[in-house]
Amino acid sequence: MRTDEREELLSVATATLDRAPGGQAEVIAVQQTQQLTRFAGNVVHQNVAESSLELRVRIIANSRVGVAQLRGEVPDAETRVVQAAEQARSFASESDPSPLPEPDGAGEVAAAFSEATESASPEDRARVAGLVIAAAEQQGVEAFGSVSTRTTRTAIVNSNGVRRHAATTQASVITVVRGEDGAGYAAGHSADFGDIDAAAVGREAVDTCVRNQHAGAVEPGLYEVVLTPYAVTDVVEHLSWMGFSALAKQEQRSFMRPGRRLMSETVTIADDPADPGSFPFPFDLEGVSSRRVTSIDHGVCAGFLYDTPTARRDGVSSTGHSLPQPNTYGPYARHLVMEAGDASRDELIASVRRGLLVTRLWYVRDVHPLRTIITGMTREGTFLIENGRIGRPVRDLRFTQSIVDALDDVRGVSRERGLALGEDESAVLTPWLHLGHFAFTS
Amino acid sequence: MREVADRALDTAAAAGAHYADCRVINRSVQELTVKNGQVALVELSEDTGVGVRVLVDGAWGFASVDRLDTASVDETSALAVRIARSSARLRRDPVRLAPVQPAQGEYRTPVQRDPFTVSLEDKLDVLMRSDSAMSEVQGITVREASLEFVKEERYFASSEGAAIAQTIIESGGGFDATATSADEVQTRSFPNSFGRHQLCAGWEAIEAFDLPGNGRRIAEEAVALLSAELCPAGRMTVILDGTQAALQVHESCGHPTELDRVLGSEAAYAGMSFLTPDLLGTFRYGSRAVTLTADATQPGGLGTFGWDDEGVAAQRVVLVDEGVFTGYMTSRETAAVIGGTSNGAMRADSWCRIPLIRMTNVNLEPGTSSLEEMIATTEHGVYLETNRSWSIDDRRLNFQFGTQNGWEIRDGRRVRLVRNPLYRGVTPDFWRSCDAVAGPDEWRMWGVVNCGKGEPSQVMHVGHGAAPCRFQNVDVGPAS
Repeated sequence: MRTDEREELLSVATATLDRAPGGQAEVIAVQQTQQLTRFAGNVVHQNVAESSLELRVRIIANSRVGVAQLRGEVPDAETRVVQAAEQARSFASESDPSPLPEPDGAGEVAAAFSEATESASPEDRARVAGLVIAAAEQQGVEAFGSVSTRTTRTAIVNSNGVRRHAATTQASVITVVRGEDGAGYAAGHSADFGDIDAAAVGREAVDTCVRNQHAGAVEPGLYEVVLTPYAVTDVVEHLSWMGFSALAKQEQRSFMRPGRRLMSETVTIADDPADPGSFPFPFDLEGVSSRRVTSIDHGVCAGFLYDTPTARRDGVSSTGHSLPQPNTYGPYARHLVMEAGDASRDELIASVRRGLLVTRLWYVRDVHPLRTIITGMTREGTFLIENGRIGRPVRDLRFTQSIVDALDDVRGVSRERGLALGEDESAVLTPWLHLGHFAFTS
Repeated sequence: MREVADRALDTAAAAGAHYADCRVINRSVQELTVKNGQVALVELSEDTGVGVRVLVDGAWGFASVDRLDTASVDETSALAVRIARSSARLRRDPVRLAPVQPAQGEYRTPVQRDPFTVSLEDKLDVLMRSDSAMSEVQGITVREASLEFVKEERYFASSEGAAIAQTIIESGGGFDATATSADEVQTRSFPNSFGRHQLCAGWEAIEAFDLPGNGRRIAEEAVALLSAELCPAGRMTVILDGTQAALQVHESCGHPTELDRVLGSEAAYAGMSFLTPDLLGTFRYGSRAVTLTADATQPGGLGTFGWDDEGVAAQRVVLVDEGVFTGYMTSRETAAVIGGTSNGAMRADSWCRIPLIRMTNVNLEPGTSSLEEMIATTEHGVYLETNRSWSIDDRRLNFQFGTQNGWEIRDGRRVRLVRNPLYRGVTPDFWRSCDAVAGPDEWRMWGVVNCGKGEPSQVMHVGHGAAPCRFQNVDVGPAS
């Protein structure tokens, strides 16, 4: 991370804060560059780059709160965004706004950052896309996907003395490889563009694609399943949305029952912003240091995620899981991790007498959040497992299943874990799972 | 804006682009939220930038920046050209664009009252009165009401000579009332789910929604759902209200008729489509009661404009004609692939994202029935209102939807409220079972404000005209 850019962004945030009138004020400055090369049918068809600086100001005075946001260079942007926030505040009626946090004494903590990602060129991305495409062409199939790099610098300052800055990078290679009648999926993500083995991503997707041709039907019903980390990511992400937030608990819409064992003791799920296997990031969008919260501890409902407003309501400290305040959504998990087990993924598959191997889930939606029921489809690689061996491909199936119910019947957890991006593009680190039953409905 | 665009095009041409277009956009948004009687959010935002799209050596490049000074614009155009050259290394056939007559003109969303001239106080008053109406009902645990207003100034110019200025104005609002018990959470929304209903319109739209006047009724329905019986299970008749019909159209007709999906552009993300070009003109998508159009000229729709983001004039396209699949939404590039010209469906959600084929207003054309008549002539079924969950496969065939509430129908009468209804099916089978669509009196334009597509992800606002409609022999059951 370059010191001059850190200081420059902090000085923009501080200069904006200095323009705020009396009362409490907070400024979030986010500078982002993003590049993405997209390919389809073994050729690049979209290729984009963007660069922006966004300022968000929150002003609290006389029990009124106003917010303004500005992206784009306009004359005296700092003054303009502060004036807009003050205008919004002046029209807001009196309420009981949550106060701004105080500095929590945390020093400078590094986020996931790589110079190689920040400096990746259009030619670098084309070269990496070419590796995936080459893997597909070797097998006479077609690759579709994207190669992306992103650098985000975030500075948060407030009138209580909070002054935080972090720079983070993220690189991704994602592909769907399609054959005559079937497809395969693979992806790789890292803070460091150079750490992603794009050829291996291509080979994995090609291998799944080649095996997933001319799938046959199986009857809907209850099946044992082995889920890859791509699929477990969706399960864990939706579970967090349906109950890990303290606001969900306070509004009586969380499935969590603190102290009760709802799932197998092999299930431990946390939000861990410092896990080196994910994309470490030191603070939330109030500038509060983010700490690990274990929500499911060996199957038992444990901790909730807090931001300042929900923590104030419960008389506890924020865990550093705030979205930009004020918001009505509540605290949010952005670094979900599921603990590994002690089996190998091959052992999980070998232990299935008759079941399904599910590579990936698609269009997963909550059906009944309080009962953690979700629905969705399998996609790009569903295979029958018979007598411990992966067999013929099967057509995609719809599932409708309670997550808590499924995670109460865990037959095995792999020691290998994979990093995937959830639907909201947050990182999720999960193992392979062998579940005793999963309901496929059509 | 014109100077910025002209500069960008000149720089791109000098750097070697044989085609370039440029969009300069300023977008202002007001968001207001009241939750449980307190002002939860008053946010004013502004977003300005420029996006430059070029063709070099037959390949696309795009770059964007939030600064409009000459140096930044020059740098961005040059970057777009460099990116296009890198694309060309992995391109076989050069991109061809279907011809379009370069347009010069202006368009502005017609409004009776510009929502940005209405005071924030008056807007908060609507939300507070809506909240107050919900608070009269015992058993409601969470009340949330919100308004959103958008004004977007867009300038589009191309190296072919197009020069188009547009001002798009949107007004949206709605509320949710949530009731909870030990084993149920039930939310009712008005006028639509996903937080609000939105139109290309002025303040008059918010007044017409009458949010305060519906607060109590909707809150009472949320509480009643806690103790309602579960939705019956089995094959039966389903009648969808206009909002759910709109979402059914969105997922099962809108997305599969986007030609870029069909040709594979979205295969690694949003998926593809079962409506392949060999089916054009012959495939029976639905019954004769089903005619679907993409109409960017329909007043009030979130997909209503003067020209799309390639400078193609707004138009009406028939996608399904009395049940037969007849057309796609297209771009200049995709139209050239299948032969023909673009029908103007290229839209970007921001200056920093490229245009993609997006729904304009994909409408189920009105029929001749009515909700009353449909219920009166149903022996056993359910009338389903307001979406709660939605899921469909990556080819847009296998779907399952849930709604916030349902009414069981027996012998032509609504007999009881039922909770947690789900229905599922396969797209063409479902639309072929449609035997009635309500007429123009019950046909409304609805807005969907969360339509996702593309990488990097874009969230588009799209419109759907729809009326209540009826389907036979549908698989129905409760979520439990």
